[in-house]
Parts: sequence; C-alpha cells; structure tokens
Amino acid sequence: MRATQGAGEGAGRAAAARRRVGPYTLITALDDPRAKVPVPERRYIARSTDGLHTVLLSLPHPGGDARRFLTEAEGSRYLLGPCAAPATALAAPGEAPWYVRPYLPALPLPAALAVHGGPLPERTVRVLGVALAETLAIVHGQGLAFAGVSPAAVLLAADGPRLTCFGAVRAAAPDGTPRSGLPGLEAGSLPPEQASGGRPRPLGDVYALGATLAYAATGHTTPERDELPAALRPVVGRCLARDPGAQPQLAEIIRALAGDPAADSATLRTPGWLPGRVIAALAHQSATVLRAEIPAETAPVPHPD
Amino acid sequence: MPSPLTHDDPRAIGPYRPVARLGSGGMGTVYLARSAGGRTVALKTMHARIASDPAFRTRFRLEIDAARVVGERYGAGVVDADVRAETPWLATEYVLGPPLDEAVELCGPLPERTVRALGAALCGALGQLHASDVVHRDLKPSNVLVTAYGPKVIDFGIARAAGDERLTRVGVAVGTPAYMSPEQASGQEHQAAGDVFALAGLLVFAVTEHPPFGHGQAADLLYRVRYTEPDLTGVPDALVPVLARCLDKNAYRRPTTDWLAAHLHDGTGEFADHLPDTLLADIGRRATEVWQLTPRRLPAPAEEPETPPTAVSRGWSRRRLLLTGAGAAAGLTGAGAGAWAFTRDAGRARPQPTPGPRNSLLPRRRLDSLWQIQIGEQSRFESSMPSHPSPLGNLVTTVVGDVAGVVARTGHRAWTVPYLDMAWQIASDGTRLVAIVSSDHPAADRGSAGGPALLLASLDLVKGEMNKPFARLSDFNGDLFPDQLVCTADGVAYVAAGRGRYVHNTFSAEQTWYLLAVDIGTGKPLWHTPLPARRPGTERFYFLAAAVVGGHLVALQEADDGTVHAVVRDTRDGAVRWDHPLDGVRADRVRLPLTTDEQHLYVGTGRLRALRLRDGKVAWDSKTTRPGRTYGPPAVKDGTLYAVEKGLGLVALDPASGRVRWEEKGGGGRRGGRELRTRDRHRLRVQQARVQALDDRALLPHSGTGVRDHR
Repeated sequence: MRATQGAGEGAGRAAAARRRVGPYTLITALDDPRAKVPVPERRYIARSTDGLHTVLLSLPHPGGDARRFLTEAEGSRYLLGPCAAPATALAAPGEAPWYVRPYLPALPLPAALAVHGGPLPERTVRVLGVALAETLAIVHGQGLAFAGVSPAAVLLAADGPRLTCFGAVRAAAPDGTPRSGLPGLEAGSLPPEQASGGRPRPLGDVYALGATLAYAATGHTTPERDELPAALRPVVGRCLARDPGAQPQLAEIIRALAGDPAADSATLRTPGWLPGRVIAALAHQSATVLRAEIPAETAPVPHPD
Repeated sequence: MPSPLTHDDPRAIGPYRPVARLGSGGMGTVYLARSAGGRTVALKTMHARIASDPAFRTRFRLEIDAARVVGERYGAGVVDADVRAETPWLATEYVLGPPLDEAVELCGPLPERTVRALGAALCGALGQLHASDVVHRDLKPSNVLVTAYGPKVIDFGIARAAGDERLTRVGVAVGTPAYMSPEQASGQEHQAAGDVFALAGLLVFAVTEHPPFGHGQAADLLYRVRYTEPDLTGVPDALVPVLARCLDKNAYRRPTTDWLAAHLHDGTGEFADHLPDTLLADIGRRATEVWQLTPRRLPAPAEEPETPPTAVSRGWSRRRLLLTGAGAAAGLTGAGAGAWAFTRDAGRARPQPTPGPRNSLLPRRRLDSLWQIQIGEQSRFESSMPSHPSPLGNLVTTVVGDVAGVVARTGHRAWTVPYLDMAWQIASDGTRLVAIVSSDHPAADRGSAGGPALLLASLDLVKGEMNKPFARLSDFNGDLFPDQLVCTADGVAYVAAGRGRYVHNTFSAEQTWYLLAVDIGTGKPLWHTPLPARRPGTERFYFLAAAVVGGHLVALQEADDGTVHAVVRDTRDGAVRWDHPLDGVRADRVRLPLTTDEQHLYVGTGRLRALRLRDGKVAWDSKTTRPGRTYGPPAVKDGTLYAVEKGLGLVALDPASGRVRWEEKGGGGRRGGRELRTRDRHRLRVQQARVQALDDRALLPHSGTGVRDHR
C-alpha cells in the first residue's frame, strides 16, 4: 500500500482522482473550488480501494488541527435525526486525519443555487428549514450543540437534505479564541458569540439555521430584510435576532415553515420540492460516480476469452 | 427496483461482479454489476442454451454494434461486451430514468411541453442513427428511457436488418405492432421514414396514454396500422397537424426528423425544465436508490422447483433485455407473465381456484379488448334512462335506436328488432328478454285504466322477433311513458305500471302507480303493491336498477326528492323488507345493471360500498377501506368484485372485505365505461356508443399460471 497522503492544496478534480487517503481513492471533489462560500472541510467523493464502498470523505483544511477535527468526526458518529450524516469510519490514531460516510448523490447548498440559477424556490426553503430544524431539535435533545450549520454544510439529496460539518466551529479554534475570519467558517452564519470565542450553545444553531435559510432564499447569509420572501421574513428574521431571548424555538420554526401542524419534513417532500435542475444535477452526479473507475488494486477476474 | 441475486447467479461475468438483478427473461438476465474499480454497469447476459444458437449470437452482436452507433448521448453507452464468451454479455451504463411506458403509467398523460421536448430530443437521436445508415425499426415507449438530460433509445429491432430468414422470424414474433409503420406491417422495407411514423405514435401515447392504433391482438393492430386513421383524440390541438403528418400511410409524405424537431420544440431551456415533477422525483429516486443497494444473494431453495419460476416468454424478455435503469423488469417475472398470458395466449391460462395474491404484492395486468363495434347513434332517451347492454345467452343485446343482438364472442350482429328503443321497458335475465310492447290491434287491447292494456312480450332469440304478448293487463295503462319493466327473473317479470290518463313524457297527479309481479308462463299477475305518488311534471322514473337475489327483489329507487334508496322486497308478496337511503349517490350514475351476490348489494360510481342484503347495513365502504378513491360501476363474478378505479384502472376486490386483490396494469382508469359480464366468460365494456369485449378468463384472481416458455 502506498503512503497515505492528503489531497494537496489546489488539487484539481482530475488530480484528485488519483489521490489516496487511507484505504480510499478520491474520485472527485464535492465542492466547486471556485465557489466563494467557505467550506469548513475539504470534501471528496471517494471509493475504497477494493471498489466496493463509495463514500463522502472529509479532510481538514491544511494547517487545521487534526485532533479537534477527529474529535468532532468521532462525535458525529452518534448523531441522530433524519438529516444527520454521521461519520461511519475515521482515521486511526497517528494516521493523517480523515473521516467518511456512505455516498449518496448530494449537492452542497451553494452548488444547488448555482445549478438552479439563483435563490431556491420558497417551497424548497421551507422543506429545508423544517428538515434541518427537526434534525437540530434531535441533536439538542442529545445534549449537543451542532456548531457548524452553514450554507456549505447543508447537502441537498433527492430524499431530503443532509447536515454535515458537525462541530466545525469547535474544530476551527478552541473556545476562548476569536474565530472571526478563520478559514472555512462562513461569517454570516457564525453566531456572534461564537465568533468572539464563546462556547457553542444550541441557541447559536438557531442563528446559523436562520442565516442558512436566508442564503437558500436569497443567495446571502446576511440579506437585507426585504430581500427575503415575505412569508419567510418573520421567522428567519427572528432567528437572526441578536437578543437570544427573541430567537424562536425550533418547534416554532417548524410550525411556521411547515404551515400545517400535522406536517413534517417527510410529508412536505412531495414531488416538486426540489427544482428540476437540481434533480438533474443530482442524477448527473450519480451517473458520473457510477461510471467512475478507480485503479484496480487487485488483479481483475480473468477474462473468459 | 433491483432484486437480490439468486443462489445460482454467477459470481463473476467477464470482469464484473453481479450486485443485484435488474430483470430476467427467456433470453437471459440483466444484472446490476460492478467492476473491480467500482464502476457500476447494467450487464445483460444471454443464457448459454440460447447462445448455442449462432443466429442469436449474431443478433446479439448486431445489437451491440447498433448501441455503439447511438452512443451514450442518445443511448445506453456501451462499456464493454463479449459475444464470444460461453455466456455472451454486454455491459452498458446504468441509465437513471424510467422507460417511457412506466413514466406514463406513473404520471398519466405527459404535459404537452414534456412531449414536445421529448419528441425533439428523439428526433436528434433518430437523426444521428439515420446519418449512420441505421434504422431503429422497433421504436416504442418501452425502448425509450427518460433521463433528466434527455431520452435514451435502447433495444434495437436490428435483427430484421440482417435479412436472415430465421432472424426475421424471431424479430416478428416479438414486440407489439402498436408502433409499427404501415410498410413494416405489410412486410415491406422500413426505412428512416418508418422510424418517424413510430416516433409520432410514441408521442401520441405519451400525451394521451393511448397508442394511436389502440390495443389488441397483433392481427387487428397490423390491420389498423395499415388501413385506419390514427386515433388522435386527446392530443393537444397544436400537436395534431404535426403528428398527423408523421402518421401518413405514405412514407414519402412524412417529414424528416429535422422538420419534426423544429415543429415540436424551439430548444429553449434544459430538458429537465420540461419534465413534470412526478417524473423528476422518480429520476431523483432512481439516482439515489442505486447507492442504497446492499448486495444480497438469496440462499438456495430447499428443493429445486421443476421449472424456474422466473421463466417468462421470449416475447416479454426481449422487450426489456437491454433495460438498464428501468428497474421494472424485476416485476416481469410474476406480473408480466399474467399480462402476457392474457394478451397473447388467453386460452392457455388455466383458471385456478387459488385465492388472490396478498395486497402487498398486487400484480398488475394489461387488458385488451377482443372486439369493438359501433352500435348506433345515441339513444333519443339517453337522458331519461340510458341503455346498457344486457347479456342474453351467448348474445349481448343493446338498445340504441333498435334492440340489437350481438354475439358476445365475435362482435357479430345476429339480429335487430326495430322500433324498440325505450330501454327502461326492456329487461333481460340472461336467458330471456322481456319488454313492454305496444299493441298491433289497439281495438282488441283496449284497457280500463285510461289507456290501452299493458302488454308484455318476450323475444324469440333465434329469429330476433318479439313473440305474441304473454300478458295482457287491462287494468293498467300500457301507454304511460314511465311504465317500467323493472326486472325479470325466475319466470317472473316485475313491472312498475300506472293507472290514469297519458300525459306527455311525465307523471300526473291523477295517476296511481304500482309495482307488480307477472308470471311469464301464465301471464297472470301474482301481486301488486302501491308505489308512492310522483311529483307531477317529473321525468324521473321510480326504478334505477333492480335484480332478484334469493327471495328478494333488490332495487335502487329514486325518491321524489332525488335521493337514491336501496330497497329490498319479498318476491312472494312485494312487501318491503328494508329501505335505506344511500348518501353520496347520484341517481344518474347508478342507472345500470345492479351488482349483487348472495350476501351483498354493491354500489359504485363514486364511493364503492357493499350493503348486506339481509338487513341493509353497510358491510364495507371505500370511504374507509380506500379513502379518497372513486370508482366506476362494479361487477361481481366468481367471488371477486371488479371496478374501475379512477386514476388506476380495473381493480379486483374481495367482496366480503373490500380488500384489493389485484390492479390492472396501465389501466389509468380512463376507460371508466360501464361494464357487465356474460354467461360465456366474456366481459363487456361500454363507452359512448361502443362496446368492447374482454375475455373473462384472464380476469381470474390468480397470477401467472399457465404461462410457458415457448421455445
């Protein structure tokens, strides 16, 4: 087995295809390197060298703290909820840091906006908001603060969103250290108290959720108030309130976005919840990864010829 | 969806490891398979016993060559193939999208914008093929996979290009001729213009859910393709001239694919922009589910069955053998077999008294008509009481202008009785037709109740003429418009008849009305019982439908306030046993043959419900068993209740519980006509002024028995 190494800086998609991380071979980067929205991790679609398991693989940014990165990855293994994306395997102690979860076709929220050609329809934002709020409510119930909700952390898949980058804020810098301007942290979705070094708490997730939904609906995490669709304005506006007492409970967010007390994210996800071009991009990604072939590690089965 | 591997599926095929089964048939099996580098492909294999025939290998090679010509933009990209292997195989990309027939089944008729974009893209595919001197020859909905980026054409009828007699014969034996070009149907050369014809037919199907030349047996279809005009009913107006031009019988008058593409679509937007949400959601689901597949291999069964349970006929298997992302092929093993048995080989399907499959495994069947005939213009009394066909021996009688007797098996018209067109004055019990007739000798038949006597006569089935009246009831006015022959059964005719003077087409206050029973053998009245007075001026008759079950006359009656009542009377004296109003039932919808068995009365047209004959209590109601669904009129036979469910098609239900046993495949619920059954196993479906017959044997609630692998 060759020496394990991370995907170097500026790794293009083609170059990444030949790079090895732990027992995986990288197939392609998940995030568009030209995208302006910061991503807390470097994410790749990768495949185990036996060809059997295709995964979504995350690496820390160069210079990032490997121990804090792996601590959060380890913590994410126990996440519950419909949109959780728990790590299923991670680097062994002493190994260069990485962690993976099973692949499914998914687009980071910024990529979805790019594919759709602008802000997502209100219906999509509502489903997204309900699903993410449901997931955060469960994470909070587990006694955890997610501390990493941001536009890039949200992946859109055909069967609902996935919330990745658990603990990105904690991994970026230890509590007590100002976090403004750190690589990978998106300023608009970083709650002010966390930016100034405060320990991430569940209320900060509500702020970050508001900023992320604002991004989905407008293309910015810090929109002008009247940029937001009128129906979303009150609830998203309250999420972004500086005064924690004014912030809504997750249950309130779910009620306000679902519109119907009986609805949940699963019942809201009827055909049409995702824009057509986003589905097309998901199908395209799926087909590309189905087609991808990594260099064979083992001798191929002999041809019957 | 993909299904698990079986214990005897190969561990490796060429450099690929099978992961799941996508479909299986007489020709071979299609697997989802992975290479050592993790590339996922659809892998089509050919059974070794078929591969031992060099002609099949040749055909396999020709198909692979054609698939390579199409390329992966317009087809399932060929990854690798080995035609010389003991088990020849072909690996193509796994296409993420449903075949067009499944897409239409899922979404119903596709929107015009979708069909335009689809058509234009298919013109591109055909244009590329034709530029390479390849003609598809077998373009049809199941051979077009709809992806988010455009359609992909698969499964070429290339065999016929080879000109080899054997291949030609094989080629003709497969495939439905529903989309054949007229030149192909008449055995002539099918060129590029033939593909244009097939493409237009496919687009008609996509936008209406019906192929332009209907369904049915191959010979009928071939005839219609060659000689009759396409049925463009339901095609959006703007598309009609474009598609009609492509469906010209004369190949030289058909347009080119470039012309057609330009007239279908201006090329704006991405293909996905034109797809309906339901179809996009299905594509998204397929793109995701292929990654959630856990490779599984079923253990070997304890004892090998004598015949492989997956054996289906060659006809079906070939249809989808190159199927890639389609997924539905897995369902072919059970459900498809039943459908095949019906459409091509109904006579061979052996009825078995086994219970229907469980609800979770509903097989779906495709049903075709045996014949269709035009039975005349609409009745002039359609609004008073629409006529419905009645079974009569091996005949079916229709009352539209005249009474006509049609042979149920063939659709041939045996005889016509002119001037008998008041459908509510005619009734049949399946062996005898009785009618209220007017007198040939008014002087002799004068009555004492304000008009001529009420005369009842039966029909001579052989001659097709009315016999002399068997009953002459002078104390009823036989001239009254609302006189009704309610029902006839067990040698008794039940008649609603009035006393009092004739008023044009209605009731009057001075009339009194009765229900009476008349012995057909003796012509003597057995009893009569008064009916409630009718509002003067109304044209609404008393009885909507009636039948005799055991000792009960079961009837649907319309009350003066328009509500519908189920009323059960004792046939011995006419005494009312029970009378229950039915909520949510419109009188105009239930003027049809009554559907009953020993236990229940079934009422459809809207909700479907069963009332216990014993006491009139509701046994079950689709309001609770299948909420939100609506149904056409039901029919019951051999312990199974049938009804057309809106949006779905024909469903078979358990009469006691209302539980669904099976559903029609591709029915779409749009042929919601009236249905009834005859004594010789035929089932009739009436729509507008047409009658359609279906073979009843194919409707028995068992799946797939009697299908053999015809090799």
